[in-house]
Amino acid sequence: MDECQSAIPAHDGDLHVVAAAHHIVKALGTTKNLSDDLRKILIDLDAHLSLITSNIDSKGGKGFVEVEERLKRVERKIVIWESDRIMIWDSGPKEVSDYLEAVDEVQTLIDSLRGLSMNENQKQKELLHRASSLLQMAMSRLEEELIHMLVKHKQQSEPTYMPSPSSQRNVVYNESVVSLDNESAKEASSKSSRSDECGEYIVDLVPEHVIPDIKSIAKVMFASDYGQEFCEAFIGVRKEALEQHFDILENGKLSIEDVLKMEWCSLSTEMNKWTWSMKIIFRVYLMSEKRLCDQVLGEFGSVNSFCFLEIAKTTILCLLNFGEAIAMGPQEPEKLLRLLDMYETLADLVLDIDALFSEDGGSFVRLEFHKLLEGLADSVKAAFNTFRVAVSSNGSLYPFPGGGVHPLSKYVMNYISMFPDYSSTLNLLLEDQHSDVASLVSEPQCGPTASLSTSCPMACHLRSITSSLESNLHKKSKLYKDEALQHIFLMNNLHYMVQKVKGSELRPFFGDEWIRKHNAKFQQHEMNYERVTWSSVVLLLKDDNPGSSSLSKSAFKEKCKGFSIAFEEVYKNQTSWCIPDPQLREDLRISTSLKVVHAYRTFLGRNPAHVDDKCIKHTVEDVEKLLLDLFEGSPRSLRNSRRMMKT
Amino acid sequence: MPATDYQASFLGRISIRRNQVIAMDGNHEQELQDLELFSKHVSERFAELLSSPDDIPFDALLSISWLRKLLDFFLCCEAEFKGVLMMGNDPSQISKPPLDRLIPEFLDRSVKALDVCNAVTNGLESVRHYQQLAEIVVSALEQKPIGDGQSRRAKKALTSLMSAMNVDDKECSAAKATERSWSFSRRGVSSKDRVPEHFRSVSNQVAKNWSAAKQIQAMTNNLVPPRGAEGSGLASPVYTMSVIMVFVMWALVAAIPCQERNGLSAIHFPAPKQLNWAQSIIGLHEKIGEEWKKKEKKGTAGLLDEMQKMEKLGNILMDFTDSFQFHGDITDQKAEEAAARSAELAETCRRMEEGLLPLQIQIREVFHRIVKTRTELLNALDRVGKSSPPLL
Repeated sequence: MDECQSAIPAHDGDLHVVAAAHHIVKALGTTKNLSDDLRKILIDLDAHLSLITSNIDSKGGKGFVEVEERLKRVERKIVIWESDRIMIWDSGPKEVSDYLEAVDEVQTLIDSLRGLSMNENQKQKELLHRASSLLQMAMSRLEEELIHMLVKHKQQSEPTYMPSPSSQRNVVYNESVVSLDNESAKEASSKSSRSDECGEYIVDLVPEHVIPDIKSIAKVMFASDYGQEFCEAFIGVRKEALEQHFDILENGKLSIEDVLKMEWCSLSTEMNKWTWSMKIIFRVYLMSEKRLCDQVLGEFGSVNSFCFLEIAKTTILCLLNFGEAIAMGPQEPEKLLRLLDMYETLADLVLDIDALFSEDGGSFVRLEFHKLLEGLADSVKAAFNTFRVAVSSNGSLYPFPGGGVHPLSKYVMNYISMFPDYSSTLNLLLEDQHSDVASLVSEPQCGPTASLSTSCPMACHLRSITSSLESNLHKKSKLYKDEALQHIFLMNNLHYMVQKVKGSELRPFFGDEWIRKHNAKFQQHEMNYERVTWSSVVLLLKDDNPGSSSLSKSAFKEKCKGFSIAFEEVYKNQTSWCIPDPQLREDLRISTSLKVVHAYRTFLGRNPAHVDDKCIKHTVEDVEKLLLDLFEGSPRSLRNSRRMMKT
Repeated sequence: MPATDYQASFLGRISIRRNQVIAMDGNHEQELQDLELFSKHVSERFAELLSSPDDIPFDALLSISWLRKLLDFFLCCEAEFKGVLMMGNDPSQISKPPLDRLIPEFLDRSVKALDVCNAVTNGLESVRHYQQLAEIVVSALEQKPIGDGQSRRAKKALTSLMSAMNVDDKECSAAKATERSWSFSRRGVSSKDRVPEHFRSVSNQVAKNWSAAKQIQAMTNNLVPPRGAEGSGLASPVYTMSVIMVFVMWALVAAIPCQERNGLSAIHFPAPKQLNWAQSIIGLHEKIGEEWKKKEKKGTAGLLDEMQKMEKLGNILMDFTDSFQFHGDITDQKAEEAAARSAELAETCRRMEEGLLPLQIQIREVFHRIVKTRTELLNALDRVGKSSPPLL
């Protein structure tokens, strides 16, 4: 356009040329199959040529007449809407295109009037003022139309894709390793929001058909140098919409102080919400918002990324601050899984964040999230370490009653059985501490011959945790005065560990070698138990005089009595002991039976002469039956039951 | 930047010192020297801030560049403080009285400061919004000749600007200032000068009842100068650093729109004048406090120099556009004056454009530094083994 104006002919003689050109342009404009762009160029050209004509006329004094006429025409078109309560864009396509044409015309007139040299021509100045006023009126109107349009359509597009945050809040592993002794361990397993990766899914924040309307307003406002007003309005509405979406995700607005003081239970919920909100906000809303900005403003230079940043920033800061608050908090072991969720979510998003905020202005956002990712990585490591420390240092003052599976074993095994889901992240984060731990765990799996899954950093860390657990269990077993119970306790807990490893995704990380070794360990305790408990009892039945055929009656009676007393003592004690695993309990009973019943039967069989009811308190069948009462966890006494039977 | 200079020399000194410490274990004299040096640097830095000339706009009290200098000094003091506290000294000292009480209190203050940093970062978003509105005013008025259209355009943006500043000031703590009725029947008002209500403002980032003023008030809890023998030990740098931290946060909140600032001027600094390093801080506190009292009467959005300028120029230009619309035209003299004011406004916008983002980044840096020191102190307490359960 500028070229057109600079080419205003200085000589009256050129008037003919201009008129001829004008004529040609008008003729061309009537051609039917013109592209829109070309038609626009012709219309512009037409306008300029007619202005040139009027400019040349103006030297005669009344040349602005045509300009004034045109101005009056568009003035009517624009002013008429000022008293109307209906929005133009709600009225119909004809009204819209008429209005946009009118605004175009005002702009063309202004450009042309400006393009003319300002030689103190009062008329020209007056026309320019009038046109500018008109333009301002139209721009104000367009801004309102834009806001109306954005607000109206924003509300319609909301509910269709809104996921319910409540469905995402899965079971949370809320136990704390510190409060174990008082609490029964739940075998709750949780892995929140693993299966529900929402993926990239861009939605229409504004319905598809409205975009051309918004664009048409953008076009005309930018063309008239009102781009700032457009952005101001656009940012305002979109920013508010984004904040509303954010509010719907139920993110409590928390200060860092609040977060640091929060109870674990609510904190865990907030951490889950953050994880979910991050995905929704970045993958859905910000991706979509970015697309909207590009669609609407893509052709006006860097303004699209500027608007996008303005729209997104406060919401992003909110998410960032919560992340920071978590990353700086004390990293208790129970936070580990939630921290892993947060870390993985952000690690997943970081490339998207880089892409969304690739321009200079967004470097602040990019940098902050990268810092947060580092912070969360450190937190995961710290929580992992406190977990390890907690496992080895969890102490008790009193022996765990019954010698069953200790809550610590349950807690640790259940907790780590969720780690395989995070194996790639944990491998990455634990890499640098790998060598220390690998040397600590003397298992052969860490050697060079080990397979990949058993030699990865996580595998070594897992085995180091279970070996801490083992040594802690050994410490705990020392609290029992009864050596046999020590073995029961260790047998139970080692058996539990092996079962957990075998029955979960932990297996490949521990390897068959580990399982074999630990099977052998608990079996050793089983054997030790039998030895400690039953060897002395069986010994009572032993033939002191292997040569002779049978015992004297009194010796027999003595031995019988001794056996009953010893047996009753064991019975009284060990019925209160506990072997929770039925198979293990059964196995132990069978092998005990084999040993004890067999010895007893042999003993009685060797002395058939003395066998009568008076001497023998318990028959072989009795003993066999009574052995079934052991390890049920409910204390019984034979003397009591006998007395009860007699009365 | 002076920050890096200070830091470089400071770190150099630390490393020399550490060697010395290894050589002559438990050199008490060295520690005293360190403490002295620390408070000397503090007093020098704040004296420089106090002497900022008001007539040079670039460096004026509470201008963007002044605040950046303040934050720079904060970072320097902080680095030096950490050095004094944690390097070379017997590490177990921090778990013994009086530090076993003072350090947790200090950490508590740090956490509060972090929330203030976030509130201020958010407030800077509002300031950026003012800047954008002011830029529209400038765009409108820099056109020649100024006619009714330009004047109306400027007036519209000015109205938004002034009400934005006003709302952010008055209703920061109230529910969204953005509640508008435009969703239905915007055409209800149909006067020629229909001005859309401004629609961006500080969105509350934290809970509704969070108050910047109360937060800073809480930071002064338990903040008393060390007495007697404590005065010569490590209690004194902890106290000094606390006062600096409270002052810096207080100044930021006074300058930048922030959620709930009522009672900010009533916050009293327990810094006795006889302490050398404290004099400049007290001076600054009084000076800014005076300004704040004036502000409370006038009701401005914040003491940020550029914002105050914007407000003043905004009022003048508003009068100009009013009289323009009243008379329909304007004398050349008035037009010239308006052009000059608009040029000043453009200059203010330019300074904001240059300074606001770096200021925001610097506040984040302060944030991260406070977090880092807090973590290091907690770890140190942990190592000493007498870590009280996480205080915050």
